[in-house]
Amino acid sequence: MLMTVEVMSERLTKTLNQVRNDLMAGFSDADRESYLYLVNWLRQADIASHALRVGDIAPDFLLPDAHGRLVSSEQLRSEGPLVVSFYRGGWCPFCNAELRALQTVKDEFDSLQANLVVLSPETRDLPRQLKRQLNLDLTMLADVDHGVAISYGVLFRVPEETKAHYSGQGYDFGHRHGSTEWMLPIPATFVIDQDGIIQGSFVEPDFTIRQEPSAILSNIRLLGPRIKDEPPTGE
Amino acid sequence: MELNQVRYFLALANTLNFTRAAEMCSVTQPALTKGVQRLEQELGGQLIYRERQLTHLTDLGKAVLPMLERALASTEAVRRRAREFQQRDVAPLAIGLAPSISASLVLEPIAEIRKFVPGLHVELREEPSSRLVELLLEGEVNVALVGDLDEKPERIDDWALFEERYVAVLAASHELAGLPAIGIEALREAIILDRSNCDVAPKFQRLCFPDAPPNHIHSSCRDLHLQHLAAAGFGIVLAPEHMPRLPSLRALPIEGDPVWREVRLLAVQGRRYSPALDAFVKVARLRDWSLHQSHSEATRMSA
Repeated sequence: MLMTVEVMSERLTKTLNQVRNDLMAGFSDADRESYLYLVNWLRQADIASHALRVGDIAPDFLLPDAHGRLVSSEQLRSEGPLVVSFYRGGWCPFCNAELRALQTVKDEFDSLQANLVVLSPETRDLPRQLKRQLNLDLTMLADVDHGVAISYGVLFRVPEETKAHYSGQGYDFGHRHGSTEWMLPIPATFVIDQDGIIQGSFVEPDFTIRQEPSAILSNIRLLGPRIKDEPPTGE
Repeated sequence: MELNQVRYFLALANTLNFTRAAEMCSVTQPALTKGVQRLEQELGGQLIYRERQLTHLTDLGKAVLPMLERALASTEAVRRRAREFQQRDVAPLAIGLAPSISASLVLEPIAEIRKFVPGLHVELREEPSSRLVELLLEGEVNVALVGDLDEKPERIDDWALFEERYVAVLAASHELAGLPAIGIEALREAIILDRSNCDVAPKFQRLCFPDAPPNHIHSSCRDLHLQHLAAAGFGIVLAPEHMPRLPSLRALPIEGDPVWREVRLLAVQGRRYSPALDAFVKVARLRDWSLHQSHSEATRMSA
């Protein structure tokens, strides 16, 4: 047990890229094959080209959190910068690593008066379970029926080959999403300013690569204090 | 996948006519065709058979249609919100409840959406499950909560919310009330109050009374009537665990918990969701229904 805690705290100090290498070292041949297939498929179909970009208007949303309470993006961004992070689900170890990493820097988000929401395609009690299992106090919203993922341009239909691999591992998206169509978001992170304009967009078809929390925080800092006449410097 | 592509496909599925679909979406026909082709590439197959007189959906098109309709409805409900509230100050939401589903279940979800949907007007309507399905299709109710469903039309979406067991509800003075649980043999000997049109009665018959029907003497189609009868010592009500009870009643588990049912949420596929309906469906699908069950449990324990 002690070992587990040590391993976990070690993980928390690692960058997501280091955690990625650890997780990929544990891939079976079948995992690796499925991973390469999906990433190639996403790149060839150029799925990420639909995603919203810096300068685009961020569509607002009203979604339930893990406890069934509604949360409004309009309200959140009126309080400060809003970070919207799409993840695939509690079954994905790369997503869980990302959530843990975000949890470790939550205080820094708070000190910048930035709100962070993580959007899950999962419904039922799954977001609640995940929060408990990973001991998270992040705001996790359920993107019920994928409406927000579609409006941010990050939704795709899981190709048959990938579906077969995930089914084989026991993942039932019909149960998890409340829909028999297998749809998933490309994991992505958007930084939205108080006017509802996207100021940061990280969309990477390789689901094993996530934006480092430090990079998200830098992006928020670049927004600086809210002075409308001065556009943010840098990217 | 892009929102516009989905809009184009849904307009096409609706009209089965490229010209009219393009008009509906305020784009040129080539733009609409291109958008749909791109969506087809991503989804891995044709969505529409393009035949001169016979444009129709392929199997893939039919398969993804309900999902895409729901996704679009979900995004549009939020976008329409501000506009709609300015134009209308009444947001109606008609919720159908099967007779064994207590209104107490939907109170918290309604309170939650009322925070965001000003002018919310809720109508609760109790009807048997099969009638609720008809009312949904007729647009008389927007959403319904029902127990186990034998069959439902394809155009109805349904989501399992939670499972609950049936318990024996009886007066605190009833001779069996002191037991920790009631055995099936004891139920067979006892007087069971008959809930007319009960959708779970066949399940009870099969699992608890396979040889002879329960000993029914008194009956009612209303749960409150049955509870009053039970409180006055006329017999035992077999009721879902979440059902609120008169203070003088006790609920005892049935040994082995033989009878369970699933509470489900129903809505009509492909219909435009109002902001109130969209919010209700979302909250219901995320709500921790077990809280409600443990609340009932706590009520029972303190009673």
